[in-house]
Amino acid sequence: MNVPPQLDASAVPPLIPREPGSVAPDADRVLRKLFLTLFLRGRSSRGLRVEKAPKSVLQKLGVTTLLYAVFGLIALSFLGKPVFAVSAFIHAMTLMFLGMFVAASAGEVLFNREESDILGHRPVRPQALLRAKVRVLLSVSLVLAAAMNLAALAVGVLAPDGGWRFPPAHAASLALETVLCVGGVVLTYQLCLRWFGRERLDSWMTTAQVMVSIAAVIGAQLVPQIMIRFGHRLEITAERWWILALPPAWFAGLDDALAGRGGTSSWVLGGLGTAATGVIAWLALERLAGDYESGLKTLTERPAGAKPRAARRWRVRLTEAVPLRWWLRDPVSRASFLLTAAYLIRDRDVKLRVYPALAPMLVVPVILLLRGRQGTADFFGPAFIGSYLGLLPMMGVELMEFSQQWQAADVFRSAPVPGPARLCHGARRAVLCFLALPGMALAAAACLILTREPSYLLLMLPGLMAVPVFALFPNWKNGTPPLSRPVEEGKAAGRALGSILVMIAAMLLSVPALWAWENGWFGWWLFGEGLVLGALYAAMRISLSRTRWSSPE
Amino acid sequence: MISVQQLTKRFGAQTAVDALTFEVPAGQIVGFLGPNGAGKSTTLKMLTGMLDPTSGTATVAGFDLRQDPIEVKRRVGFVPDSGAVFESLSGLEYLEMVAALYGIPSEAAQPRIRQFLAFFDLSFETLTDKLLGAYSKGMRRKVVITAALLHNPPVVFFDEPLDGLDANAAVGFKALIQTLAREGKTIVYSSHILDVVERVCDRVIIVDRGRLLVDGRPDELAASHGANSLEQLFTRLTGGEEMERRAQDFARTFRP
Repeated sequence: MNVPPQLDASAVPPLIPREPGSVAPDADRVLRKLFLTLFLRGRSSRGLRVEKAPKSVLQKLGVTTLLYAVFGLIALSFLGKPVFAVSAFIHAMTLMFLGMFVAASAGEVLFNREESDILGHRPVRPQALLRAKVRVLLSVSLVLAAAMNLAALAVGVLAPDGGWRFPPAHAASLALETVLCVGGVVLTYQLCLRWFGRERLDSWMTTAQVMVSIAAVIGAQLVPQIMIRFGHRLEITAERWWILALPPAWFAGLDDALAGRGGTSSWVLGGLGTAATGVIAWLALERLAGDYESGLKTLTERPAGAKPRAARRWRVRLTEAVPLRWWLRDPVSRASFLLTAAYLIRDRDVKLRVYPALAPMLVVPVILLLRGRQGTADFFGPAFIGSYLGLLPMMGVELMEFSQQWQAADVFRSAPVPGPARLCHGARRAVLCFLALPGMALAAAACLILTREPSYLLLMLPGLMAVPVFALFPNWKNGTPPLSRPVEEGKAAGRALGSILVMIAAMLLSVPALWAWENGWFGWWLFGEGLVLGALYAAMRISLSRTRWSSPE
Repeated sequence: MISVQQLTKRFGAQTAVDALTFEVPAGQIVGFLGPNGAGKSTTLKMLTGMLDPTSGTATVAGFDLRQDPIEVKRRVGFVPDSGAVFESLSGLEYLEMVAALYGIPSEAAQPRIRQFLAFFDLSFETLTDKLLGAYSKGMRRKVVITAALLHNPPVVFFDEPLDGLDANAAVGFKALIQTLAREGKTIVYSSHILDVVERVCDRVIIVDRGRLLVDGRPDELAASHGANSLEQLFTRLTGGEEMERRAQDFARTFRP
C-alpha cells in the first residue's frame, strides 16, 4: 500500500459550482449508457469466468435482433392480403413478443434493490433514472420491433391496397405501438406500487410476468394454428365491432388509414390507438412519475418480514405424508426436495426462468393433437406427446441447477456428504412432483378431450416410462446439486440446440413404439423398453452415487 | 456540518430511528455504533438522502435534506455496508460512470482514479479487463471506497468500510480517514469493530433500538461509566454482558 500523501486533497478537483438543485449536465446520457449496458450484459456477472463474461453489448443485441427478424418472416404468409389484415397480424405478433420482452425485463430494470445502494445517494433525480430506464427499454424495443417487421414492410408494399406509403406509415404505427407497450408495462408497475406497496409489488409482478410470458409463448405457438384451422371463418376487417377492443387493430387501422384503403373505420381505429398511447405514456411517465421516487426509496427499506409460514407448513406436511414420506426417507434428499420446492414456488428468478421455458412443452402436445384431429396423424400425436413430456422433467432438473444465490450452495460442499447424489435425488423429485406430474396430467387430459379415445392414453406410456431416466440424465451428466450454478452460465448454454436434441430423442422413442402399437407388439415393446430403461436407470444411479464433489473453479 | 434534530423513521408499526438528535462539526470523525437493528444503517441512509425521514429535520453541509436532497447528495460520499456495485461493468467503467454523475469530466476523473489505484495497490489492467463480478470482496470494497471519495465530498459516511479489506489495506484506510479529517472533512464511521473505532474516532455516538444512548469522547464516556474500554462500555450499555453469560451457558451445551 502506498502512502496517503498521494491523496492530498488539494490535488482533487473541487466541487463544480452549479445552480442549486441542478444535476450533472450529462447525467442523462451517462444513465442511459449505464442502463443500456446493464440491460444488455445482465446485472450480474458474478461467478462467470472472464472469457464467459458478456462484454460486447452489440453482439448480444445483434443476435436477439436477428432472431426477431427471423420470427417476422411469418408475415410472408400474408402475401396478397389487404393492408389491414397484414398489419393486424404483424402488430398482434409484435405486441405479443414485445409485451413478453418488456414485462420480463421491466421489473429488474425499474426496481432493482442493489441499485438503490449504488445510486440512491448520488446527485440524480429519480425522474431522471426513470426517464433513462424507459428510454433504454424503448430503444431496445424499437430495434426489436423494427427487426420483426422487416418482412411485413415488403408484404405491405405488395398488398393489393398497399404501396410505397406503407413503410413510413407502418414505421409510425410501430413506434406508437412500442410506446404503448413500454408505457403500459411501466404504468402497470406504477399502479401496482401505488395500490399494493413494494412488498406486494414483487409477488404481484412476478406472477404477472410469468403469466404474460406463458401467455405470449402459448399465443405465439397456438395462434398461427388456430388461424390456419379457422382462418376461413375469421375475416379480419376494420368494420368488425369487436376489433375496437384489440390494440393491434388500432395500429393496423393507422396503417390502413395512411397507406391502405383509408376508410372511416380505419381512421377511428388509428385515432383510438394514438389517443390511448398518448394517455398511457402521459400517465406512466408524467402523472405517476412521482410515485417512482417513493418506490425507489422503499426499496432501501428492510422487508416487512412477512413469513410464508402457511406455504412452508404445506410443503413440509406433504413430505411427511405417504407416499412422499417413503420416497424421501433420506434426510439429505428431503432437505434438497424442500429447498427446490421453495425456490420453484417463491423465487422470482427461478419462476421467471423455469415456467416460461417449460410452457411451450405443454403447448406442443395440443398443437399435435389439433393437427391429429385433422386426420394427418391420429396415432402419432399421443405417442409423441408421451415421449416429449417425458423430457419435461429433464429440462426442469437442468433449469433448477441455476440460481442467483448459487454461492450459497457452498453449504452442500461443506456438509458431510461425499458427493452431490443425494441432493440431486431430492431436487429431481421436487421437479417431478411440482412440474412433471401436473404437466403430464394436463397433457393426458388434453389428449383425452381432443382425441375422445381413452385407449390413446396407452400410447403415451413408452414416453412416460422413460421419465425417471430422462429426469436423472442431467444429474448424471453434470453431477451438479440444485441452485449451485450462476444464472448467467445457464443463459450462455445452447438452449436452442438442447431443445432440438430433445425433439429428436422424443421422435426416436415414439416412432418404434407406434410401429409396435400398429403391429400388435405394443405389450412386448413396453416390456422390452422397461427392461432397457430399468438397466439404464440403475447404471446411471450407481454412476451418480459414485460421483464426488468436483473442485470449484 | 451535520445537524440532526428529532430525526425519526418508522416502518409500519416499527420505529427504527426514534427522535435522534446530534451535531457533527467539520473535521471530526464520529463513530456511530449500536447493536444489530439499532437503526444505524437507517440513519445513514436518511442522512444520505436514500430514505425519507418520517419526522424530524437534518441538514448536511448546510443543506436541508428535505428541501435540497440533490445538493446534499453532491456533498456526501457513502460506503454502504452492502458494498453493492454493478457487477457487469468493469471497475473503470463503474468509476467513470460515478464520476460523470458528479459532473467530473473524464479527463479529470482518470488521473484521480489512478491515484486511488496506486493507493489501493490495484493495477489499471485489473480495473479495465475484469468485470466487477469477478473481483474479490476486498477489491470490490476498494472500488466502492474510491467511488465514495472520487468527487472529494466534504462529508463521508462509512458503513462497515473495512469489511473484506486485508490487514494492510485496513491500516492504510484508517490512516487515510484520519488525514482526511485533518484536512477538514466530516466523517461518520459506523462499525462493529470497536477497537478500530476507539483508535480512529474523536467521538462516538451509541444508539440502541433507534434511540441515542450516549454521545461523547470514547475515553470520557468509558470513564464516566466505569468501563476500561469502548467495548466494555458498549456491552454495558447494550446488554452485551448478559450476552457473554448466555454464550458461556450455551457453549456448555456442546459438551460431549
